[in-house]
Amino acid sequence: MMSNAIGIIFANSGSDSLQGLALNRPIAAVPFGGRYRILDFALSSMVNSGISTIGLVTPHQYRPLLDHLGAGKDWFLERKNGGMFILPGVMHGLEGDNHTFCIKDLQRNLEYLQKDFSENVVISNGNQIFNMNFTESLEFHKEKQADATLIYKECDHMGDLIHERQLEMDDNQKVSHIMAQSSLESVETPHPHFVNMLIIRRELLLNIIDKYRSIGCLDLMDILTTNLQVLKIYGAPTDSIFWPIRTVKDYFHRSMDLLDCEVREKLWLGEDRIHTKIVDNPPTRYTSQAKVSNSLIASGCTIAGEVSNSIIFRGVVVEEGCRIRNSIIMPKCHIYAHAQTTYAILDKFVKVNGENVLKGSSNSPLVVFKSTVI
Amino acid sequence: MKQPECVALLLAGGQGSRLGGLTRNRAKPAVSFCGKYRIIDFSLSNCTYSNINTVGILIQYKPFLLNSYIGLGSAWDLDNPFSGGVHILPPFLGNSEGSWYNGTANAVFQNYEFINFYNPKYVIILSGDHVYKMDYNLMLKFHKQKNSEITIATIQVPQEEASRFGILTVDKDERVTDFKEKPLQSDSNLASMGVYIFNWATLKQALIEDDENFHSENDFGKNIIPQQLGDGARVYAYNFQGYWRDVGTIESYYHANMESLREGHFLNVFDPKFRIFSNEDIFPPHFMGSAAKIENSLVCNGCIVHGNVSNSILASGVYVGKGVQIKDSILLPYAKVHDGSIINKTIIGEKAEILGQCIVGAEGQSTPEQEGITVIEDYHIIPMGSRIEAGENVYRTR
Repeated sequence: MMSNAIGIIFANSGSDSLQGLALNRPIAAVPFGGRYRILDFALSSMVNSGISTIGLVTPHQYRPLLDHLGAGKDWFLERKNGGMFILPGVMHGLEGDNHTFCIKDLQRNLEYLQKDFSENVVISNGNQIFNMNFTESLEFHKEKQADATLIYKECDHMGDLIHERQLEMDDNQKVSHIMAQSSLESVETPHPHFVNMLIIRRELLLNIIDKYRSIGCLDLMDILTTNLQVLKIYGAPTDSIFWPIRTVKDYFHRSMDLLDCEVREKLWLGEDRIHTKIVDNPPTRYTSQAKVSNSLIASGCTIAGEVSNSIIFRGVVVEEGCRIRNSIIMPKCHIYAHAQTTYAILDKFVKVNGENVLKGSSNSPLVVFKSTVI
Repeated sequence: MKQPECVALLLAGGQGSRLGGLTRNRAKPAVSFCGKYRIIDFSLSNCTYSNINTVGILIQYKPFLLNSYIGLGSAWDLDNPFSGGVHILPPFLGNSEGSWYNGTANAVFQNYEFINFYNPKYVIILSGDHVYKMDYNLMLKFHKQKNSEITIATIQVPQEEASRFGILTVDKDERVTDFKEKPLQSDSNLASMGVYIFNWATLKQALIEDDENFHSENDFGKNIIPQQLGDGARVYAYNFQGYWRDVGTIESYYHANMESLREGHFLNVFDPKFRIFSNEDIFPPHFMGSAAKIENSLVCNGCIVHGNVSNSILASGVYVGKGVQIKDSILLPYAKVHDGSIINKTIIGEKAEILGQCIVGAEGQSTPEQEGITVIEDYHIIPMGSRIEAGENVYRTR
């Protein structure tokens, strides 16, 4: 499965609304689903689509990202031909905050795009959960001889994608309008929403970067919107799960959605698997006092207490008499005897001493910062 | 390429027929152990930990799954060609000769060229069917200190089990005075662990002599060691303190697995300073359903549990349906137990499936075989509503 495309993942967006979770790491590096990081989903989707040259636009605090990625071996990207490329992003200051695909980030890493021979570039945001194979969209793009193909999903006003751009297309799937969400009243019927992934001709992308080089921070999507009439831009549908992670609430509820069997089947038990860093933890150990229900639990844990409706990451210790309910406990946390957590998100290495009770609510889960001792 | 001081040869070609259904489809070193691991992980991780980076793996019996598991050795950080790396060594044809490996010594002798290629000072012989954590460097240090030609790693075993092992007698200086393979009666309880360090020069000579001896069974324990002792070679016993288990029989395999459920277990796979590496498939975390009940068990990634599990080990990708009761059992990777089945003291092979409402390991009238441990062969499917008595070995029909 050789693909005539290279990939670029924007893994540099941060967010204030993730509270402490994205304090010292980009959203893409936030742990998710028991053993993954959010970035794994975009990265694995590309790898599973046969894209073996992938550039990662990193923010300035990229240590957690590189710690996780290494040389890309666990995604089969440690290779002679292609592989993983780190593309250091620029410091945006205030104005760059709301960009999806900032042209300046690409301009800084022009060589990555220049030295390749591929026809197309697949661009994706790194802070969303999905599992998608790009093969079909690439074929669509080729068939339509498109300049760019925007990937979209039908979604009504109740869906996950209400904050995304909306597309209007003619009968031939050619995009006629791209609208920012704010410009529309709430839509009750399902409507195509852009899912922050597109395919663009490499030459065109180089051309755009060159033409707009003198202007400061510009978003590729804005440029495409402005030039909608002169370019051949199409929309290709997908039915994959799409969860943008913007707020703590997003993070919490999307995590909890994983407890649904059907969601798991769709997201990570299909033909295309999500790859992640392998650390070779031993199996998880349950003592005779353990009580566990409706929970996802990674390897290397020791569970002696009660765990329900929760997600437990690798290497967590839950001592006797603990009650973990509706919580997300990140790697290497230690919950000492008789402590309780409800609607809490514990970042890595948190220690909760005995008898403590941590309590949040479904709408506003309590976030405990990395390495805190309670 | 750098010339290594010590080359490891891992004997992984034996059939392991005493493991019954577990080794019908794969070589013994590729049999799953303690949920997450395969038996060969221990020897390979020991090599990595001991900085022995040139490892030849001698294979013969059903090698496909073993080979694909080992791959390039990258899961054990043994894929560095500059310092040697992993080499799979199957039997092969030469210009005028060539045959199957006939005994452990013969297998090593046939790979004479491999060892000569690296021309190390020492050769360490390992077997791929033991579970232990060991720093081979300490043994090598001992070997050098004693100016030994052959060093045999030993461990103390209970007197009544001595007849299962090769038993050594040593003098005050740890020098071996006598070696008996599986003696009926013995005063010593010092058992050979099947780990030997040879000076390459000594081994070379011994293998040539052994090959010329038509009466020899070409076995390290039965022939090479006694012969060398008789010839007056300097043979020393290195006393290993630590956890070591032979998992060559259903019973010993079962108990070694079950021991890992005990708290403060000797093998301590949790020790971050000496991790056991393995080459696992990619799985999401395991899922415990709302009705699941679990106690004193080990569970790996990718499992889905809806039933009751106690004192058991669930390897990667195992499925336990609703209303299932699993007790004192070991479920190997991808095993599936469907709704309402009851499993007692059973080893369920890889990708085997127990359909609904079965009773496996049912207690019968008579005293059961092999301590009542039931074994279901890999890939076997037990039909709905079956009853299988304790101690049975269930094989696939072909």
